[in-house]
Amino acid sequence: MAEMASQTQRSVPLGAILTAGRYGAKGPDGPGVTLRLRHPLSIVTVMARKGRAEALAAALRDGFGLALPGPGQSTAAQDLALRWAGPEQWLAIAEGGRDGDLHQRLTAALADTASLVDQSQGRVAIVIAGPRARAVLAKGTAVDLHPSRFRPGQVAMTQMAHVGIHLAQSAPDVFELLVFRSFAESLFEFLIAMAAEYGYEVVSRE
Amino acid sequence: MTSRRLAQGGLIDRSRPIRFTFDHKSFAGLAGDTLASALLANGRMLMARSFKYHRPRGVVTAGASEPNALMEIGERGRRDANSRATMVELYDGLFAVSQNRWPSLAFDLGAVNGLAASIFVAGFYYKTFMWPKSFWEKVYEPLIRRAAGLGRASHEPDPDAYEKAYAHCDVLVIGSGPAGLMAALAAGRAGARVIFADEGSRLGGSLLAEREEIAGDSGFAFVAATLAELEALPNVTLMPRTTVFGWFDGNVFGALERVNKHVAVPPAHEPVERYWRIIAKQAVMATGAEERPLVFGGNDKPGVMQASAIRAYVNRYAVTPGARAVVFTNNSSGYRTARDVLAAGIDVAAIIDARDGGTETHAAGVPLIADAVVTRVVGRERITGVNVLKGGATTADRIEADFVAMSGGWNPVIHLSCHKGDKPVWDAERACFLPPSSTPGLIPVGAAAGALTLSQCLKDGSAAGARAAGLAGFKATSIAVPETRDDEPYSIRPLWHVRQSTAKAFVDFQNDVTLEDIPLAAREGFNSIELVKRFTTSGMGTDQGKLSNINASGILAEATGRTVPEIGTTTFRPFYTPVSFGALTGAFRATHYQPVRKTPLHEWCEEMGAVFMEAGLWLRSAWFPKPGEDWRAAATREVMAVRQSVGICDVSTLGKIDLQGSDATALLNRLYCNGFSTLQPGKARYGLMLREDGFLFDDGTVSHLASGHYFITTTTANAGRVMSHIEFCHQALWPELGVQYVSVTDQWAQIAVAGPNARRVLERVIAEDLADAAFPYLGAQAVTVAGGIPARLFRISFSGELAYELSVPADHGNHVARLLMSEGSGFGIVPYGVEALSIMRIEKGHVAGGELNGTTTPEDLGLGRMVSRNKDFIGRMMGEREALKAGNRDVLVGVKPVEPDHQLRAGAHLLTRGAVASLDNDQGYVTSVAWSPMLRQWIGLALLKRGRERHGEIVQVYDDLRNSRMLVEVTHPCFYDRENLKLHG
Repeated sequence: MAEMASQTQRSVPLGAILTAGRYGAKGPDGPGVTLRLRHPLSIVTVMARKGRAEALAAALRDGFGLALPGPGQSTAAQDLALRWAGPEQWLAIAEGGRDGDLHQRLTAALADTASLVDQSQGRVAIVIAGPRARAVLAKGTAVDLHPSRFRPGQVAMTQMAHVGIHLAQSAPDVFELLVFRSFAESLFEFLIAMAAEYGYEVVSRE
Repeated sequence: MTSRRLAQGGLIDRSRPIRFTFDHKSFAGLAGDTLASALLANGRMLMARSFKYHRPRGVVTAGASEPNALMEIGERGRRDANSRATMVELYDGLFAVSQNRWPSLAFDLGAVNGLAASIFVAGFYYKTFMWPKSFWEKVYEPLIRRAAGLGRASHEPDPDAYEKAYAHCDVLVIGSGPAGLMAALAAGRAGARVIFADEGSRLGGSLLAEREEIAGDSGFAFVAATLAELEALPNVTLMPRTTVFGWFDGNVFGALERVNKHVAVPPAHEPVERYWRIIAKQAVMATGAEERPLVFGGNDKPGVMQASAIRAYVNRYAVTPGARAVVFTNNSSGYRTARDVLAAGIDVAAIIDARDGGTETHAAGVPLIADAVVTRVVGRERITGVNVLKGGATTADRIEADFVAMSGGWNPVIHLSCHKGDKPVWDAERACFLPPSSTPGLIPVGAAAGALTLSQCLKDGSAAGARAAGLAGFKATSIAVPETRDDEPYSIRPLWHVRQSTAKAFVDFQNDVTLEDIPLAAREGFNSIELVKRFTTSGMGTDQGKLSNINASGILAEATGRTVPEIGTTTFRPFYTPVSFGALTGAFRATHYQPVRKTPLHEWCEEMGAVFMEAGLWLRSAWFPKPGEDWRAAATREVMAVRQSVGICDVSTLGKIDLQGSDATALLNRLYCNGFSTLQPGKARYGLMLREDGFLFDDGTVSHLASGHYFITTTTANAGRVMSHIEFCHQALWPELGVQYVSVTDQWAQIAVAGPNARRVLERVIAEDLADAAFPYLGAQAVTVAGGIPARLFRISFSGELAYELSVPADHGNHVARLLMSEGSGFGIVPYGVEALSIMRIEKGHVAGGELNGTTTPEDLGLGRMVSRNKDFIGRMMGEREALKAGNRDVLVGVKPVEPDHQLRAGAHLLTRGAVASLDNDQGYVTSVAWSPMLRQWIGLALLKRGRERHGEIVQVYDDLRNSRMLVEVTHPCFYDRENLKLHG
């Protein structure tokens, strides 16, 4: 019971400023983008131990049916996604965020081959989607997001509004920004200011 | 005033009148007008006063290079100074005010400067206002600034939004005249991602200003058809109103888009300007050419204009500057103007050609006076005629006219191609500078590359577009070039100035630089064009000499017996035209100037009534005032509560790094000056990091969570730097180490729980045994909070009390803090902020930012015993330097005012009692101060020469900056509980 209670009393990042509704310009074609928070979410940094990247790849393949993605890439299988996050470093992401669940799951399978660090509550995942999502993001990042250059499944470590972010295109026109929690409000305020001219909708969490 | 609007023609919409005001008088223009064309249409020739002599000035150009018609546009916070009326699109309610005149444009008292013009020559200011020295700031400069300024900046905040954006393309085409249009079409048809940018309000460039025939139709029609095709191509982005202002490394181009400068108030949610960084694989520079003025007597009078500008006003805006033109030219361009003016039904008195005679198609019925120059323009507010001197004649003839078209040849607009430092190349035949011979990534084309005929521009544009697309990886061929009428061949004979001028002749209109100024500069020894620019100011200002620079080079060449290519040009630098500070700032202003970081406990801190302070990017709770308390009362109460019972503090801002791997311990041993080989799992240790030079870098704790797994904390200020340092050390110095590390600063909410009752409060929320035996000082272990939250507990203390730091995953922070408050209510628990934290650490003599200031060593701060002698580490070698080991260094002491009510201030210097204040006598300085609730007086930490030998000595505090002097007693830096009894309580 206590454990259940502890999970329900968690704070939601952006709670103070994220209110569902239509904002900005209101054109006939509907909002240019929608913004949504993914929470709770499980995020674990997976860092290959020295000389063990191949063994890690094998363990992931055997344990999760997942290939280890190369630079700028991601892979996904069932409920688990892997996104490249630096040399021999990845972010493992899964829906649901009970404290430590994913970390424990991965530790059981990968502890010999990788150092694993729970980041579930240190990063905030903001989803921005819609026909003008690229236009909004182009106001913040130097990454070329043209559909021919940045396809669904690709990721990039970049900077937006002076804040480091991890950017992924999870589906066509759907982008996910992982940002350090402390910067999340600032980044969100920047995004909605840049989205206002196209009109945007903030969608509440399911 | 007479309307100067032509009855027909032009690209203006006669059905859409637009009201605007100029100098508070109401005028009407038409949709499609610029402010300049609308003023001309209203017969307003006088638009400005000149910078130095306050001479009446009118518009000279119809485009970006305008030196004269600069105005303040907009009111209050929207006011833009020095706006070029030639680039300001007319809109309803436009509010324009002339500049640089008092009391009015028509009657300007400053014009008396003109009467004294002989003394206001170049260098006048440098030479005259040197004495007495004190007068410069107080008298001369304010006077000169008022008399010789341009527009006024608004002192009110700009209500509009600005933003920045990135764009990427295969081919960037800059300029939308004939060459640019063909280049964009060729690259677009090849499938390349094309960005097609032009500074004008409409795309089409010079084709909008000329009477041309292309493919059997008008130039206007060709533009419309080509744009329609480009618009339909999904891979082509059209960017009108966008000035590409700079070419940078990586083929990055800077561009300013005037998104909403053509309306009084931007539509809701839209920015007014957007600052673009365009990353292009290839660029086509089709920026056209700028017509040079001629330098002759009275060439600055309102009504003397570029011949090409007159064509633009007549053909595009259906406006004539006057009723009777005279053309003065040294090349083909003047003839075209004569024909276009005639075609519009306006009289042309004569063409005065400085050459012996051109081969151009002559304008029917217009007298041609060959081998002749204009020596003087006659008339005051309005021109009445010109004096013309024929070759060999000794007296000039008067020709009556009310406006003058001048053409001194063409300057290709090569600015962008020179932004990387390459020098332009002189072309003697066309008497102009061409782009540098090699510009990888940038293809100059059309008039910008010296092609001065329409057919050549169309053909070269097509080829350049195809070439650019090809270089960007597309299969492309030149597209078919439409038919044009026979081109008029271009010929020119350079005429840098009219020697026989009988009135003041201007080289640089904006800076009032005259024909006399440049030889004067040469005589003064300033004979390089760069020095001439600085001495005379020719080529400075908002137009950066777009009209004047080449004439200035020509005049300097003649004055010094050299050639124009020997003189060269001044350096081309971004920005091509002015860019507003708003655009450079973008969205990052006021509270968004930089990102704000909030801790996971921010919400709880707000609930508790925290006053926040900025610490780097962070907002930290500084103190938690109760009604009626000021900061000192609140912090004092918080300290007392912690020292007597218990308090909690948000310390989430500390940098946190998770370190793992088989060589993790080895890495720690190299990073820190103290050793970690003996640190057992379950224990924490204080660590000191040095810089390579042996000085202190950062301090923090290292906790051994499990074998090969460490949790490092850093100071808030150095969190990023320490992480970068570790990355550098691992990647560059010791790549062989098996270590993995990542920042976890944001994953954990970290709460300090401090005070004699800290353990009792924690025992109510944590199941694990916290008794001293089970969890002693410097313990570190995983615990479970509130029956389910996985947490980490560290028994470490900054306050000197029995204290813990509790880490919980960030989402749980607010809840756990609230829980601690309610579970601690029986103990009188308080939240305490950074102020109380700082007071307590000063009472304990713990060092922080004031002491870890980049000039101190461990030994200086009394931490010398922490420096290991059994291992190597960063800073060891350099830390052995003689000066760092010297006995006379400033070392950490405590200071206590002799009079307890005296307030110490950080930064104050220390002197031996009785010593005179001088650098030689300086004994050190105060680094941190606090009013100590435990000692009931001000105390401080200080760095004092040989301080450890001087405990008990009375020294002087000297702080004349804040007018404060007092005597203090030197003490041990620890003021409270020196035996650390409470720590282990």
